[in-house]
Amino acid sequence: MKKSFLTIVTLFAAMLVFGQHAKKPTIMVVPSDHFCISHGYKMTFDNQGTQVVLPDYKAALQGDGSLRLVISKMSGIMAERGFPLKDLEQELKNIAQASAEMSMMTSKESGASLAESPIDMLKRTAKADIIMDLDFEVKKRGPQNYIVFTLNGIDAYTSKNIASASGTGNPSTAAAPELLLEEAVLSHMDRFNGLLMAHFTDMFTNGREVKVRVQVWDSSPVDLEEEYDYDGETLELGDIIDDWMADNTVEGRYSNSDNSENFIKFEQVRIPMFYERKGKQRAMNTKKFVNNLRKFLAGDPFGLTCKVYQRGLGEAWLIIGEK
Amino acid sequence: MNKVIKSLIVSLLLVFFFAQGADAQKRKDRKALYNSKFNYQIQCLGVGNDGTKLFKVWGFDKNAKNAAYKAKRNAVAACIFRGIPAGGGADKTPAIVTDPDADKTHKEFFDEFFAAGGKYLQYVNVTTDGAPSGKDRIRVKRGYKVAVIVSIAYDDLRKYLEEKGVARSLSHGF
Repeated sequence: MKKSFLTIVTLFAAMLVFGQHAKKPTIMVVPSDHFCISHGYKMTFDNQGTQVVLPDYKAALQGDGSLRLVISKMSGIMAERGFPLKDLEQELKNIAQASAEMSMMTSKESGASLAESPIDMLKRTAKADIIMDLDFEVKKRGPQNYIVFTLNGIDAYTSKNIASASGTGNPSTAAAPELLLEEAVLSHMDRFNGLLMAHFTDMFTNGREVKVRVQVWDSSPVDLEEEYDYDGETLELGDIIDDWMADNTVEGRYSNSDNSENFIKFEQVRIPMFYERKGKQRAMNTKKFVNNLRKFLAGDPFGLTCKVYQRGLGEAWLIIGEK
Repeated sequence: MNKVIKSLIVSLLLVFFFAQGADAQKRKDRKALYNSKFNYQIQCLGVGNDGTKLFKVWGFDKNAKNAAYKAKRNAVAACIFRGIPAGGGADKTPAIVTDPDADKTHKEFFDEFFAAGGKYLQYVNVTTDGAPSGKDRIRVKRGYKVAVIVSIAYDDLRKYLEEKGVARSLSHGF
């Protein structure tokens, strides 16, 4: 009773004080690797003698009518709940179109091309904050059809499974497989959305969970064991960064899961949902959070130059030594 | 001899009073059970049409007709406060309100919503409360336990409660 009351009060207080909406997560349905590969929608590469099999999403979306039906049904339900889904097929088309335009684009005066590093090219992929990993199969038992349905909600920030719904539908002789598929979606979506809501409530109460990694360039004059006089103590740089995390995460929630003189790996880092900029509250993201650490290390007594590199949606690296 | 008879009468009277007390307690418990707003007995029958939930729900009352009415109210209350268990090939459906004390927090709203002939009836699509009979109409001590099959407009009910600020929407805060 007391706990739930406090949770509600905290939520409303956050909304009232900040008067600002958090960054709305984008959600995309992606057929699972199992679905694509078992239905033959795959690409095989020879990677230095090792056969690598990857799902071919474009082929799956173009060639599987059942998949399109399930995604369409799920999109309708999610849009009705205030979360219009990012469409994977359109996203893939958009990326291909943007790539073609980027390669053709030149400046009017000097004919310069757009600057793009190999990393930038790698980053041109379909992304969403939450992936709805979908798998289903129409199975037969004698004259009867039935559906085995699995839906996992993966948080792209942490790779954690935040919501899942799965089960086997009732076998039917009369109903067409398409009808059974529709029934499977209707059967599982409310439970899935209930779990998704629990995840959002947790996020508003305890902060967004992300990963942070601190690295050192091999050209850097200092490593994480360099000692500094800070706050009346002589501490190693790694310990000072650890203290900064404790002070700047929500209720000091983070875990220093591994470290050496060259890196620190922080996991389960709970960053606040908002920060203040020019007198206004804005939605916080991982890069912004790590950028604050960069500014801290640029100040006295450290004077360090660092690069902030965003890796995916929920992970950012701080690389000490140079930009 | 008189002494023996006297003590026998006293013992019998004591037994009688204790038995009465225990029976009264049982009656009180049973009444509390029948009238409890948390006493929903539900059996999911399958996946309902788009936006609806299909299940069998029980109601208790001295009168079989009233028990059927109570069952309808229980059906809507179950969707709001407790959710519907999995069954008949359908997955579990969570409760619409996530706050376990929502009935107290929004007492006035729910008192009006669940009043006799209240707005809750708008979300009961179909019932089989015409003449529950056979195993759906059970005579219990001092009353009836009656089952009706209902189709509840779950999505419409959820939207209404979200609009009224009683339930949180999935996109709340974003």
